[in-house]
Amino acid sequence: MEQRTTSPYPRLDKPVLAVVGLVLVLGAVLFTINDREHEWRYYQYQFRRVVADKLGAEKARTVPSGLQQIWVPSLGHADRCVTCHQAVAWNGFEAAEEPYRTHSAEPLKNHPIEKFGCSSCHGGQGWAVDVGPAHGPVEHWEEPLLGRQLGTEYSLVDNKAALMQMNCNTCHRYDRETKSADFINLAKAIVNARGCRACHVINSRGGTIGPDLTFVGDKAPEQYEYGRLSGQKTAFAWHVAHLKDPRALVADTVMPNFNLTTKEAQALAILILSWRKSPVPAAMVPGTPRTDPQTADERAAEEAMKAGPGAWFVKTGCFVCHSIAALGVKSPAQIGPDLSTAVDDVQSRFGRTVDDFLASPTGTMSVVLSRQIVLTPAEKAIAVQKLREAFAEYQKQKAAVKTVAARSH
Amino acid sequence: MAKPTTSSGVQRSTATAPGVHPRPFWSVRPQTDRQSGDAIVSNFLLHWFPAKTCKPSMNWTYSFWLGTMSAALLLLLVLSGGPLLFLYVPSVERAYASIKDIEFAVTFGSWIRSVHRMAAHLMVAAVFLHLVRVFLTGAYKNGIGQGQRREWNWLIGVAMLLLTLLLSFTGYLLPWDQLAYWAVTVGTNIASSIPVIGPTVRELLLGGRAIDQPTLIRFYVLHVIVLPGALGGLFLYHMWRVRKDGGLAKADSVALLGDRIETAPVKTKTYTLLGVARGTAPTVRASTIEAPDLTVNSVPDLTRRIAIVVLGTIALLSLFAVYVRSPLEEAANALVTPNPAKAPWYFLWLQEIVTDTTVRIGSFTINGAFIGGVVLPGLLVTLLTVWPWIDKSPLAAAGVWFPRTRRAQNTAFLAIVGIVIVFTLIGTFCRGPYWNLYWPWQAWPEIPTRL
Repeated sequence: MEQRTTSPYPRLDKPVLAVVGLVLVLGAVLFTINDREHEWRYYQYQFRRVVADKLGAEKARTVPSGLQQIWVPSLGHADRCVTCHQAVAWNGFEAAEEPYRTHSAEPLKNHPIEKFGCSSCHGGQGWAVDVGPAHGPVEHWEEPLLGRQLGTEYSLVDNKAALMQMNCNTCHRYDRETKSADFINLAKAIVNARGCRACHVINSRGGTIGPDLTFVGDKAPEQYEYGRLSGQKTAFAWHVAHLKDPRALVADTVMPNFNLTTKEAQALAILILSWRKSPVPAAMVPGTPRTDPQTADERAAEEAMKAGPGAWFVKTGCFVCHSIAALGVKSPAQIGPDLSTAVDDVQSRFGRTVDDFLASPTGTMSVVLSRQIVLTPAEKAIAVQKLREAFAEYQKQKAAVKTVAARSH
Repeated sequence: MAKPTTSSGVQRSTATAPGVHPRPFWSVRPQTDRQSGDAIVSNFLLHWFPAKTCKPSMNWTYSFWLGTMSAALLLLLVLSGGPLLFLYVPSVERAYASIKDIEFAVTFGSWIRSVHRMAAHLMVAAVFLHLVRVFLTGAYKNGIGQGQRREWNWLIGVAMLLLTLLLSFTGYLLPWDQLAYWAVTVGTNIASSIPVIGPTVRELLLGGRAIDQPTLIRFYVLHVIVLPGALGGLFLYHMWRVRKDGGLAKADSVALLGDRIETAPVKTKTYTLLGVARGTAPTVRASTIEAPDLTVNSVPDLTRRIAIVVLGTIALLSLFAVYVRSPLEEAANALVTPNPAKAPWYFLWLQEIVTDTTVRIGSFTINGAFIGGVVLPGLLVTLLTVWPWIDKSPLAAAGVWFPRTRRAQNTAFLAIVGIVIVFTLIGTFCRGPYWNLYWPWQAWPEIPTRL
């Protein structure tokens, strides 16, 4: 049989290709292992064991596994904290160590997790699923977890967890006092007592000697002058040092030294850094009116109608859709026909009398009269009587107009 | 061997029909020279190769297989880009978040993104080195074959290098982080230094006067449709021309320099050797280049080496991608300029030249952006384009490393390449805040953070 010409090639090619194949397999194994390895697998395993010990194996089986997240569309946050912090919504782990501790109930009453997520209050990187990148501080994520650990690094006085109040004030910015935000409340009191607004614009009110502080929290950390600051080179550290002795950091400043205590300076720095242009959904801001109140004119018009001959229709709510022009009732919406001629109109439209129609209405009115405006038979009788009065009034006005017209001819 | 019978009962040997073999995978493991030749015409994936390949063309140290490597990287970019297409959202509001999702929540997401990013960077380097190799070996010169147009293939190659740079640059913006935003700011500001039409060019690139949603969608469509389509088309044409030009210039140099031992004309010719008819008559006279010790069967000798290069590139890259993670900086912020703001690394030599040609005399400033960003790269690309027609070195200089007859131009070319590389290295490793010079081992001033 015909043979293939023996290749004049170095025989090394085949083993080299074999090695390449091995590296491919090795690569595939390594990236698969690398992708699977996450701390959260361990934490979930541990939490299931903790639940099994405390509440029984049956309960442990209900612990969800895999990546968990709280998606808050209004904020664009996906907070994956609950992947490890699984006990957040479980009762009975109030005294446990993190990440297996139940969230304290009080703040959640007004800030349900599913509406606010985690990172909007606690800071940290909600996207991340590993301990380091999630809690920070980590490069390229300027919002580390505002917890005890960071507070300890800054040696916060009295309350090591106070940094988190920075985020409280994102929504509670215009409150004079916010429940359990002691540092923010202290700082706001100082702002008023020491008259910061004499020189600074704060929330669009104040003097122009110093810089506008309304959105000073957005100032990039690089834009501060750190030349004379020792220790941590952060915006927060700068503000604390600057508040305690302005001239020590900025030689030619006119800002006086207020002889603030360390705690006061820290509280003010937290308040100052909270003043950012954070887009907050209106529903999350406390004190924002949730209604669209009527104007004074609209209210006056309604009051006048209530006092006039068509008062019954206004009080009952018919006027929401129907005008009764003959009785001086003007509907703001005017969805339905004018009821001045209802007596005549119903007859021609439905071939029934008004009494009959109201007793067993059809179409839209059957829905309205069974759900929104429910009338007793007695009230229906009044309605018929009122409609007749309106029709009589209508005919009287019409006749009057005719007489006027005839006269003018 | 199975001998299937047709309905009429006539026995037919499946093995005798050319290109038909009962054994699976016969075309990648041919047993005979005949099967080896058959494989090329009957296997869709192999039919773009010649039946036989000039052996010296396949030397590791002649071409370093940089072109194949570039093609492998392109393949890897398409493969890794596919899943990213499903995951990435090209909107200013969601782009950054979708990258965070890819990094943290998507299975293999971080690895896929790393593969894509590293392959992109390596492709810029591989394509550039491929061009350097082709220049130094004078491989754009035509040899002894009929209808060779190697200078045009060189031109296509230059266009492909520019497309590769543009692909990488447009991909740079997509994560919508600080790195992306400011690298594109630097890049497009250079474009605006063109006299008269500069601002218009910049506005055309950005779809406005600032980098925003119109820019993102422009760069995205360019990155995923226009530029890959153009590069793919040119790649096919590039490969077709290689076949039409009779393979690598090395094959011509072998034919020229070797002792041409004329062999007797063969009666029939099953396959055109190397895809081109040499000589003017249809009766082909074989010369030394067709001698058995100078050629090998493309299947499996060429295909095996291609497998080594392609799979090797993929294997090493997928391994590196496990350990080298792709950076993602803070979300893009038009109000905060990172210090230093750097262009992508392959444009850093230009940024460096822009800085060095910016001259301040008193209050008068000569902006270097026009010289470093427009004149110089324009001049270099023009020179690259016309060089095959300027190069008058003898035929013998083609397909050989550092021939004496091309010493001057090779030295000048290497000097330019050297300057580009040195300036790129300076820009990458030695430029710190305020574009001040720092040695790589010197610490930059501490960058302050918010908390």
